Amino acid sequence: MNRSRFAGRNQNAVSFRVTERRLGPISNTIVLIVLACLLGLLYLTQVTKTNAYGYQINSLQQQANTLQQQHSDLEVASARLQSMSRTQASTVAKNMVAVSPNATVQQ
Amino acid sequence: MAFNQNKANAGAGAVKRVQVWFGLLVLIVGIFGVRLFYVQVIRYDHFKQAALHNQLKQKQIPASRGIIEAYDGNSVVPIVLNQTLYTIFADPVDMKTYHTDPQKVAAAAASVLGGKYSDYEQAVTAQHTRYSILAKKVSKAQRDKLMGYKFAGLYSEAQDYRIYPQGDLAAQTLGFVNANGQGEYGVEQAMNKQLAGQPGELKAITDLNGVPLAASSGNVQRPPVAGDTVTLTLDIGMQAQMQKILKDEYKKTESQGLSAVILDANSGQIKAMASYPSYNPANYGNTGNPKYFENGAVTDAIEPGSTMKLLTTAAAIDQGVIGPNTTFYDPAHWIVDGFNITDIEEDGGARVQSIKSLLNLSLNTGATWELMQMGGGKIDAKARDAWHDYMVNHFLLGHPTNIAQGYESAGYVPGPEQNGAGINLTYANTSFGQGVLVTPLQMAAADASILNGGTYYQPHVVAKITHADGSSQTIKPKVLVQHTVSAKTSSDMPGLMEYVVQGHLDSGYEYLRFSSKYSVGGKTGTAQIAKPGGGYYADKFNGTYAGFVGGDHPQYVIVVYNIQPGVGGYAGSNGGQPVFADLAHMLIDGGYVMPKSQ
Repeated sequence: MNRSRFAGRNQNAVSFRVTERRLGPISNTIVLIVLACLLGLLYLTQVTKTNAYGYQINSLQQQANTLQQQHSDLEVASARLQSMSRTQASTVAKNMVAVSPNATVQQ
Repeated sequence: MAFNQNKANAGAGAVKRVQVWFGLLVLIVGIFGVRLFYVQVIRYDHFKQAALHNQLKQKQIPASRGIIEAYDGNSVVPIVLNQTLYTIFADPVDMKTYHTDPQKVAAAAASVLGGKYSDYEQAVTAQHTRYSILAKKVSKAQRDKLMGYKFAGLYSEAQDYRIYPQGDLAAQTLGFVNANGQGEYGVEQAMNKQLAGQPGELKAITDLNGVPLAASSGNVQRPPVAGDTVTLTLDIGMQAQMQKILKDEYKKTESQGLSAVILDANSGQIKAMASYPSYNPANYGNTGNPKYFENGAVTDAIEPGSTMKLLTTAAAIDQGVIGPNTTFYDPAHWIVDGFNITDIEEDGGARVQSIKSLLNLSLNTGATWELMQMGGGKIDAKARDAWHDYMVNHFLLGHPTNIAQGYESAGYVPGPEQNGAGINLTYANTSFGQGVLVTPLQMAAADASILNGGTYYQPHVVAKITHADGSSQTIKPKVLVQHTVSAKTSSDMPGLMEYVVQGHLDSGYEYLRFSSKYSVGGKTGTAQIAKPGGGYYADKFNGTYAGFVGGDHPQYVIVVYNIQPGVGGYAGSNGGQPVFADLAHMLIDGGYVMPKSQ
């Protein structure tokens, strides 16, 4: 159905021209600025979220270091407790008596 | 109409206003754009550097130094570990600024750390310093407790230390780590690169709290690689007892210094190695004499004296110029290059001697005679070349053993070439251990080869290296010379050496009495000491001893060097021999030696 069909007599059509709605330059600029701000906000949100993981990583690394240090300290304590000088100085060792053979068995 | 005109005027005014604002906005944005272009493009490098200076954290992450282990029987125990300890220090200026009460700090320090209140008070009130140390090597628990008081101006700093749970055990073999983190002496020096590991790297943009920003793509975080764990061949039981024996004999023999090594004759593994006087590696800075850092068994090359006769005899037997039961007429002196080589009076003068009596009486003329046999009856180029070949290419004297120890000495063997300065006399001297420099370890390795069938194993103190990734490398015995002497020659040597021990036992050295379940042999050495300007001291001697302990076969070789023992008599018999006997008894009594099967 084309436009000339309605352009006949007794047709009260005022206008059949289709108006194109266009944004003006100001609106365009504002929309672009808003979009840029939204994108920036989105970027900042993501970056902040990612950087927050840095604190978690840092905290976990500190925990790992603390545990490693505790492990080293325990290793040292264990080695010291088992050292020969400590064993020699122990009550058990002090109460030991030297045994030397005083007879021989002949078979 | 007028209304329409007004409306049109009003619309045009609004548009104009908007256009003005828009123009203003464009101008502002333009100004920002230009400024941004200037800052971000033209001054890019400058502002990038300025920003990085504040935000970039760049540091080296130190690698944990490898630990050192040793054997306790069949199990492995750590003998060097790492521990983070703290230095507590005060900044008296800060304390004054923040009105911290020095008396309270001193009282808390004395209560937590122990020690004298007055010392701490003096430290916290020190003048003209902002770094006054209250205590070093403080444990984490003590540090946390003291820092818990939150005294303004009182600080702590962490520092990694080497920890020696076995005290001074094997101090000279281990060495120590200096303040710069470099290994000094012993294994620490020789294996510094492997023990040190590889430091990591942190390069990251950080926030105000110093926490790396995870979103920064330029961050570099390379974790450190810990140093290798080194397992030594030493047996801590043997080592501790050896150190005690050396300490006791140092006093008994009035020695100037004692070194000894116990070597597994059939693998080259060092089971114990020590020198006395020694030092405490945990407190190496307080060692009075740097000589105490040295492991004499590898650093001290001296003229070994008559212990060399074992090698001379083995070389002569191996060349087929003498046999183990050969007898010969000993004139009790030889004139070589115009000099008189004699024996001691107790040896009984000119008479027929055997190879056994040569060793038992330690005849210098006998060793010279053996050298002569290598030349067909005289000391000439043939004899010198043959003996030099055995010393250098068979017994590897004059070469470092390349053991994992700092400052190893190569020793010295004179060349066989005619030098116009009495080379025949020099070589006659080398046949009985003068004019040649040998370390205890070189002597032990050479003696092991003439006792184990003729195989020269490279002496080694490292049994295993374990890398940070868990992979490991076991150090297998390495054969450097397949046949120093033939198996037949080697089978003759234990009997000759046992004869010497029996001979000395019969002479009254009762401490050489061992159970018949074990074979024990050896040879004394009383070495003259060279004067700096030439010639030898008439009244200064070193006492040496080279021997073995075993059952059916020699199992351990023991070499002892006693520097200038003051005890009377011959230095070898009274300075070296008792130390050997103590060590041999220790090995047998400790169950380290496999007894004879029958």
